Amino acid sequence: MKQKVYVTGAGIISAIGVGKEATLRSILNEASGVMPMSYLESEHSYLPVGEVKLSNAEMSHALNVSYPINELRTVLLGIFAAKEAVEEARLKAMDLRKAAFISGTTVGGMDKTERHFKSVFDANADTPDCKELKYNDCGYSSNLIADYLGNFQIVTTPSTACSSAANAIILGANLIKAGIVDIAVVGGSEALTKFHLNGFNSLMILDKERCRPFDKGRAGINLGEGAAYIVLESAQSVKNRGARVLAELIGYGNSCDAFHQTATSENGDGAYLAMRKALDMSHLNPDEIDYVNTHGTGTPNNDICELAAMERIWGAELPDFSSTKPFTGHTTSASGSIEAVICLLSIANGVRPKSIGVSISLKDDITPLTETKRDCSTKNVMNNSFGFGGNDSSLIFSEHEGTIG
Amino acid sequence: MKEPSDKKCYVRSMALVSCQKPLCDEWMDEPCPFESAYVRAQEPNSKEFIVPSEARRMSRILKRTVCTSLTALNEAGIHDPNAIITGTGMGCMENSEKFLIDMATFGENCLKPSLFMQSTHNTIGSLIGIVLKCHGYNNTYSHEGISFESALLDGFVQLKLGVIRNALIGSHDENTPFSALMFERIHPEYRVLTETSMSAVITTDSSNAICEVASVCILHGADIDEVASKLNANEDKMILLGVNDVKVNDNPYLELLAELSFKPVCLQYKNIFGDNFSSSAAGFYAAARIIERQTVPSFMLWRKDDDFTDKISGLTIVNRTEDSTWAIIRLKAV
Repeated sequence: MKQKVYVTGAGIISAIGVGKEATLRSILNEASGVMPMSYLESEHSYLPVGEVKLSNAEMSHALNVSYPINELRTVLLGIFAAKEAVEEARLKAMDLRKAAFISGTTVGGMDKTERHFKSVFDANADTPDCKELKYNDCGYSSNLIADYLGNFQIVTTPSTACSSAANAIILGANLIKAGIVDIAVVGGSEALTKFHLNGFNSLMILDKERCRPFDKGRAGINLGEGAAYIVLESAQSVKNRGARVLAELIGYGNSCDAFHQTATSENGDGAYLAMRKALDMSHLNPDEIDYVNTHGTGTPNNDICELAAMERIWGAELPDFSSTKPFTGHTTSASGSIEAVICLLSIANGVRPKSIGVSISLKDDITPLTETKRDCSTKNVMNNSFGFGGNDSSLIFSEHEGTIG
Repeated sequence: MKEPSDKKCYVRSMALVSCQKPLCDEWMDEPCPFESAYVRAQEPNSKEFIVPSEARRMSRILKRTVCTSLTALNEAGIHDPNAIITGTGMGCMENSEKFLIDMATFGENCLKPSLFMQSTHNTIGSLIGIVLKCHGYNNTYSHEGISFESALLDGFVQLKLGVIRNALIGSHDENTPFSALMFERIHPEYRVLTETSMSAVITTDSSNAICEVASVCILHGADIDEVASKLNANEDKMILLGVNDVKVNDNPYLELLAELSFKPVCLQYKNIFGDNFSSSAAGFYAAARIIERQTVPSFMLWRKDDDFTDKISGLTIVNRTEDSTWAIIRLKAV
């Protein structure tokens, strides 16, 4: 029998709010969280960003955490979101020892590294004081988040840039299907740093205004930050625990564009194959997809290629689609799970978020949602995440309310 | 349709770049001794694999990855693997470091995009995708000392589920003089800091197999009892440990051995391959070669009085990271 994978909890933090309720409210109010830079200290302060509106000190106080967590924004954000997901799923300590925590990140503790790097490097090259650089790599960030929650059996970190969190979800589902674990808390976390802000800036793909995915005049990305996790669970575990099911993860695909480290192929080969694999696994016809939360970064290259790939699946009649990156900013490694949680909100509340900022559609005959759809039954939702290196992944969530018997 | 559990995972081919002579097994007969506490990898001749115009744009870790990946794939006769799954604790360290130094020295203007483009962890795995034009599954794990085990677990599970028939699995870490200083201070459990690039092809097909991967187990924050409960006298007669002659590193292994109700033959690999976030991949390589050749180099025997005369039916790799995560990989002869 085909093993099913259910979602029994979700948590989120981003520029549009702390928690699912606040996130939904912002989407319904069409209130973007992309604003002038106020927490990150950078020479490029003119760039709009999607920051979580809390300082490290405020988050540390709320979570009652101390050194080194209080200095690691990726970890603080991760704890906020993972805690909400685990609490919603009502996971107990004993459940966690048969569970995996899989958390995508690329930045990890780079914010702390870049704060200390200069002093370490300058002070005295022979005996630099390196201890502030400990705990800053990707894996350690995940360990700190996991250990805050409890004693997980497996903790690991996919790092595929902007598809990291989506790939965390895929590994979690595969581990459950193979019977390695019963439960997987999966997602990603990423704080804004000078390192990747400057990296994207050096590639000249950051918009100086609020980003406008799928608009003819789109001029690039606004970076954002945040974290989101979902709790995946086997049917048996859902039954045993009497857990409440939020949705089913019915399909996923991962494919490499195999074209360029930072550009997408014209026909969107990787994007197409990721969506195709996800659809094949779900056994859905493409026209059964009600809403696609696209990768939609707002770069000239991504959006046209993603549309080309979508047209290869759906032809001229695309389903409702939008990019929620004008709400949150591009939360890079966390975007896969942040947008997965937005998809879950879409299913639960019959909401299809609008694509903010589209005045003239980039293709005449194809327009993303320019109005928020409300009270609109939404059963099957696709979520795309494409990373540098052409690491492309697509997820499909399906409505499934209540318990399973 | 076969049930997932019917499918097995075999190692078809492997290639290694380390502080030992690259892309060969001379280390089994004549290992190079460590000459300092920081030993760089011996570079392979990348001209055999990459045209010079492309090689010039690649950092050392990227060249090594191409060399080990293509060597393993050629040996396996597989050129379009179903999956490319990469482990790397620190990713492209050299380029990340240069970008950070530039930012600290010159500020936030005039930074080089090429450094950023080749600084990400998944630059390594996607480069192989690009070189092979391989559209298969592609994922990268960056989780300190279990990056390799994470990549192997992902591939192992997908083979078992029947989602894929073969995969290129690898783990790659480089170091720089600066990171060597950093590791020396923040990783006192390391003895000799090295570099590793290891690639292997795993398949469900047992033909020409080097060995079978029977199980892959990761135990985060495990106590000794739990780890001991995963080992048994029947399957784990010979174990390869991540010991390195540093007390703080070796003590938990001693505690584990004391907890076992049987006395396995204990081997070591870090005296040959050193420590880095991917060094357990070199341990995996060594273990598979030992099974294939049915011979244990004498310098790998950790306890000199350990004796064995039987056929080597299996070898269990047991590694522990500083945060008390244990990884147990059970290899079996075919």
